[in-house]
Amino acid sequence: MEFIDYYKLLELDKSASQADIKKSYRKLARKYHPDLNPNNKEAQAKFQQINEAHEVLSDPEKRKKYDQYGKDWEHAEQYEEARRHQQTAGGAGGGFGGFEGYGDPRQRAHSYSGNFDEDTFSDFFEQMFGSSARAHGSRRQRHFKGQDYNAELELNLRDVYTSQKQTLTINGKNIRLTIPAGVENGQTIKIKGHGGPGVQGGPRGDLYITFKIINNTTFKREKENLYSTVNINLYTAMLGGEITVDTFSGKVKLKVKPETQSGTRVKLKGKGFPKYKKENQYGDLYITYNVEMPTNLSAKEKELFRELQKLRS
Amino acid sequence: MNLEDLIPTEEICMRYKVEQTFISSLSQSGLIKIVTVEKSQYVPTDEIAAFEKLRRLHYELNINLEGLEAIQHLLAQLEELQLQNRKLKNRLGLYE
Repeated sequence: MEFIDYYKLLELDKSASQADIKKSYRKLARKYHPDLNPNNKEAQAKFQQINEAHEVLSDPEKRKKYDQYGKDWEHAEQYEEARRHQQTAGGAGGGFGGFEGYGDPRQRAHSYSGNFDEDTFSDFFEQMFGSSARAHGSRRQRHFKGQDYNAELELNLRDVYTSQKQTLTINGKNIRLTIPAGVENGQTIKIKGHGGPGVQGGPRGDLYITFKIINNTTFKREKENLYSTVNINLYTAMLGGEITVDTFSGKVKLKVKPETQSGTRVKLKGKGFPKYKKENQYGDLYITYNVEMPTNLSAKEKELFRELQKLRS
Repeated sequence: MNLEDLIPTEEICMRYKVEQTFISSLSQSGLIKIVTVEKSQYVPTDEIAAFEKLRRLHYELNINLEGLEAIQHLLAQLEELQLQNRKLKNRLGLYE
């Protein structure tokens, strides 16, 4: 576990006054507050760090302990134990007050009670100040609605070609979910009432699921349209013919027109991807022909090509 | 709208420890919607998330009403740009 320099996090030096700490914290909180940085995990992490730094440095007792032990924080408890023994032996009585009972956290100013993860304190913080401090740290106020949960679900492109039922386990609870066909990469859906429990009879929060669609097919996708490249030989391109191509719903036969150029694009109507939440409606599949030139020509082939060349010149 | 989808503003003031004037100001600025039923004012439950966000920004970051309006506007733009960015990234996949 690494030492966390709370002063550095708040861009302060060790002699900073409480006013300096408050000012710097406010400045940084405005910069990194998750409400002002939606979908920005880095900002959220940074916000949690500065929150933790503020939690320690704005509390004189915690700050004293932090300053006292600094990088030797891992031995703080041993030092304290030794000190307690020394004081008891010397008849000083009382001992060291410990680090519990920081007062009612609700009384403290600048408490952030956003709809974020409560689990926002580092292992370093816990190790140094104990888990009771964490309880003080998460100073959420009473809310009607429960916390919103965010989850990411990874699916293959083929999985979202059809609507499918999935069972997700969120916080130990199974949620049966129908994922509509045609869902897009990066799309977020809201499942009402599957977030954290509400407070005092309030509604539950919502569950937001963001889909990460892995495309491990040869098709490229843009919304409901699919794109693929199909190789055809020179003779089919020149004279026309019939080829078999793959689509998402199986193989189809396709007629190639004579004198087809490489790069020609044809559209297979309705052979694309399902339209999101539009039953039985599909996009199109665009096929681009790539004409393959023959290689390793025999003497006879070369002769025939020369014949053809003569005819064209 | 059903009454069960509405929360009286007095209750919101009590629970969230905010002034009635704060809710009225948010409503007057068009930041949240307030519904009046038989002279009583209510906030629809689907506005609560927006209200909570605005409350946090106001009370925790000391952002005044004009600031909240500007933030709301910029966040809407940001959301639109993020959506556009996602679509463009998906489209870019076609050429990779």
